[in-house]
Amino acid sequence: MATYLEFIQQNEERDGVRFSWNVWPSSRLEATRMVVPLACLLTPLKERPDLPPVQYEPVLCSRPTCKAILNPLCQVDYRAKLWACNFCFQRNQFPPTYTGISEVNQPAELMPQFSTIEYMIQRGPQSPLIFLYVVDTCLEEEDLQALKESLQMSLSLLPPDALVGLITFGRMVQVHELSCEGISKSFVFRGTKDLTAKQIQDMLGLTTPAVPVQQARPQELPFVSSRFLQPVQKIDMNLTDLLGELQRDPWPVPQGKRPLRSTGVALSIAVGLLEGTFPNTGARIMLFTGGPPTQGPGMVVGDELKVPIRSWHDIEKDNARLMKKATKHYEMLANRTATNGHCIDIYACALDQTGLLEMKCCANLTGGHMVMGDSFNTSLFKQTFQRIFSKDFNGDFRMAFGATLEVKTSRELKVAGAIGPCVSLNVKGPCVSENELGVGGTSQWKICGLDPTSTLGIYFEVVNQHNAPIPQGGRGAIQFVTQYQHSSTQRRIRVTTVARNWADAQSQLRHIEAAFDQEAAAVLMARLGVFRAESEEGPDVLRWLDRQLIRLCQKFGQYNKEDPTSFRLSDSFSLYPQFMFHLRRSPFLQVFNNSPDESSYYRHHFARQDLTQSLIMIQPILYSYSFHGPPEPVLLDSSSILADRILLMDTFFQIVIYLGETIAQWRKAGYQDMPEYENFKHLLQAPLDDAQEILQARFPMPRYINTEHGGSQARFLLSKVNPSQTHNNLYTWGQETGAPILTDDVSLQVFMDHLKKLAVSSAC
Amino acid sequence: MAELYVKPGNKERGWNDPPQFSYGLQTQAGGPKRTPLTKRVAAPQDGSPRVPISETSPGASPMGPPPLSSKASRPPPVGSCPASTVEPTNFPVIECETLLEDVLKPLEQALEDCRGHTKKQVCDDISRRLALLQEQWAGGKLSTPVKKRMALLVQELSSHQWDAADDIHRSLMVDHVTEVSQWMVGVKRLIAEKRSLSSEEAKEEKSTATAEEHQTVPGVQRAP
Repeated sequence: MATYLEFIQQNEERDGVRFSWNVWPSSRLEATRMVVPLACLLTPLKERPDLPPVQYEPVLCSRPTCKAILNPLCQVDYRAKLWACNFCFQRNQFPPTYTGISEVNQPAELMPQFSTIEYMIQRGPQSPLIFLYVVDTCLEEEDLQALKESLQMSLSLLPPDALVGLITFGRMVQVHELSCEGISKSFVFRGTKDLTAKQIQDMLGLTTPAVPVQQARPQELPFVSSRFLQPVQKIDMNLTDLLGELQRDPWPVPQGKRPLRSTGVALSIAVGLLEGTFPNTGARIMLFTGGPPTQGPGMVVGDELKVPIRSWHDIEKDNARLMKKATKHYEMLANRTATNGHCIDIYACALDQTGLLEMKCCANLTGGHMVMGDSFNTSLFKQTFQRIFSKDFNGDFRMAFGATLEVKTSRELKVAGAIGPCVSLNVKGPCVSENELGVGGTSQWKICGLDPTSTLGIYFEVVNQHNAPIPQGGRGAIQFVTQYQHSSTQRRIRVTTVARNWADAQSQLRHIEAAFDQEAAAVLMARLGVFRAESEEGPDVLRWLDRQLIRLCQKFGQYNKEDPTSFRLSDSFSLYPQFMFHLRRSPFLQVFNNSPDESSYYRHHFARQDLTQSLIMIQPILYSYSFHGPPEPVLLDSSSILADRILLMDTFFQIVIYLGETIAQWRKAGYQDMPEYENFKHLLQAPLDDAQEILQARFPMPRYINTEHGGSQARFLLSKVNPSQTHNNLYTWGQETGAPILTDDVSLQVFMDHLKKLAVSSAC
Repeated sequence: MAELYVKPGNKERGWNDPPQFSYGLQTQAGGPKRTPLTKRVAAPQDGSPRVPISETSPGASPMGPPPLSSKASRPPPVGSCPASTVEPTNFPVIECETLLEDVLKPLEQALEDCRGHTKKQVCDDISRRLALLQEQWAGGKLSTPVKKRMALLVQELSSHQWDAADDIHRSLMVDHVTEVSQWMVGVKRLIAEKRSLSSEEAKEEKSTATAEEHQTVPGVQRAP
């Protein structure tokens, strides 16, 4: 019998699913007593090189309210050519094409190894991908030049038949007509006045399709491209010139003023343009901006430099005058974009804030990317941007569009909500729970832009009544159906069907406990916490997380009442408290020392990465390199900071290499250049090579910090490690080991002591 | 084939800017990847850190030198770095300087081939960009790696390796965009036009071939 760890890993690799619980408590009451909800992290399009799509359509259950897809869990009567739906127990006739099936001649979707399968749908016209660049011209010369070059470069990375468009903005907004003829024309809009979609389309001379939406393109309409969106291969030369000739916004910026930047109107025009021409077709609006919107709808700060952009302090004091109105503008745009099935990327490069807090919904609701850098002339921006166009093992772009995720459950379960880069499609049904966790009240969500790592947290509710027998078959099942537009423009359907055993929590608690996935649970609870933090006060969220942790320890710890020293957690729970400890300190829940934009940026990435990356964000990885042996993972603790070690820390957003005091002295003395100390040279090189490997794979590019003992940048390491030694308790440690941290923050030890006290207390 | 190098980020414009990887390094298919560094150590349940076994190895007092390299004490080799710091420019120059004519002539020839097949305006546009290439090359504005890779690109183009030629064009756009952006798009277009021209020719040949076949065996009935 394989261990649960192996089981969990296999399931993640095959189905892209990690459940908080892998054996399910069989009643509603018992499930709520488990504290951590039954939930999973789902990576709908997880890369599966070993899974070629099948070239036919899925077989659906005939019950209109079910329509589950035929899967390996269904009972099949090969002689009668019938199959029973494992969700609603409806008996279905196989379609005529399946007459040849038998026990030895099964279609793929019935084989157990195809719990995840992908169907390629042949019908329907294929429309090319669309990329609409929305470019801020209020940039410094150097930045504008670098951005222009990146955009020119991107024309070489785009699929040749993709449609591309260009909108530039500063004080005015210009929509550029792209043509192969020599003359370039553009339509100019004022940046202060918001326009409706209709007005925009009228002004641009776009005739909206007169046919009703349902029959928008049943027969293959001759493909009409607008003057503003043209195939890359047709206009690449002219567009290269057009980009090359882009100038900084010509309007003078008086001393003491910010440039007037009409981001709100520019985005509104971009959304309106695509809405009128290509609804429900894969499209990316890519916004490149170098500062905050300063005029018109969506303005985040005025143009007076003496009035700074809002801070957390202003927001807490309710002193962020423009925030609400701006947020509303961008939310309206984001919702329209999601309805159209398009996504919005934001590439914000500036030293000060650019209004990501107000604009975040544009990327968060549409599955777009959010990238924050200091300048467009940095490797961080350039490479992150290049990686948008990276390809998979098949040579296909790692991007998908217009996905609908549908969740079906067996009767004892209902779906309570989802947290991730999605919006609700408000589809009620028998499997929708009344209790919402995240975005709930629906069994379907729309994910307008996604890639092979995009991951959603999906939360469930057990609804089986207490004392009712364990449900029929002993297993509960969930089916995830993701319909999407592949980057090759085909429609595809990925179907994942999973089942887990039910167990009676009173007699079989040990089974349930052993099947707890603490890593998945930590990330799923963290997503709930971060989701709450968007609308609630920080301290309330921390208190909620603490309460959940204490309850979990009370339920699953082994202890004698009122005796903290007796407290123990089993292996499957042992890491969970330290994840919560680091989560409490993380920038996802603590806004101290972060601007509102930074918080929005960190939370954006936390709500979409897969389990491994999310866990790195919660509790950074620390590796130690020394002469004592091969590199090894060490505790994220100040005691790991030793003079003769090199440390490599990965926080997802930063890669830090830190040389201990002795190592730094040796390097200063130049030992690495002496042939007899070649081993020292290798020791210095090893973490650099490992860091390089992380840098090559990570999206977005992280910051890269090379520092040493006493270096000012060592703060990145010192602020992340558990402060087990501080200036307060330094002398209680017999010898001086590790590095004392100057902080009054609570250490993991103190945190654990309190946790145990509370867990064993009968007063709680 | 592509250049493999890592250059430092732009520390002046971005704090702690990460290093920049060349197109070749970004796209190369994995190779033997080391195990990802994702392991964690569980803190003991009382939360107190473990006291490290030894802070300093014997003979490596904080002030002393690092332990000498020797077979015995050498740390195990830590994988090999994927040719990370190889700058092609550092290669000893074996062949002589790439000549402008060697690159430009085949490109111009390719353009001539396309005339008649491709719209005049497009041809003129490509021609304009080739002139720009000539001007910059002659003016000494292009670096050795760009010239060398252009020579390779032309070779691939001449031997009808469209994908390879296109890939070199892409690597040049990614790695040397500042130098090449203004004229490279012309080369890109030329590759595309030449490719479509040759596939059309191939089609024609095929259809004439089948036509001939039909002529020689007129009586044969094909099964439906």
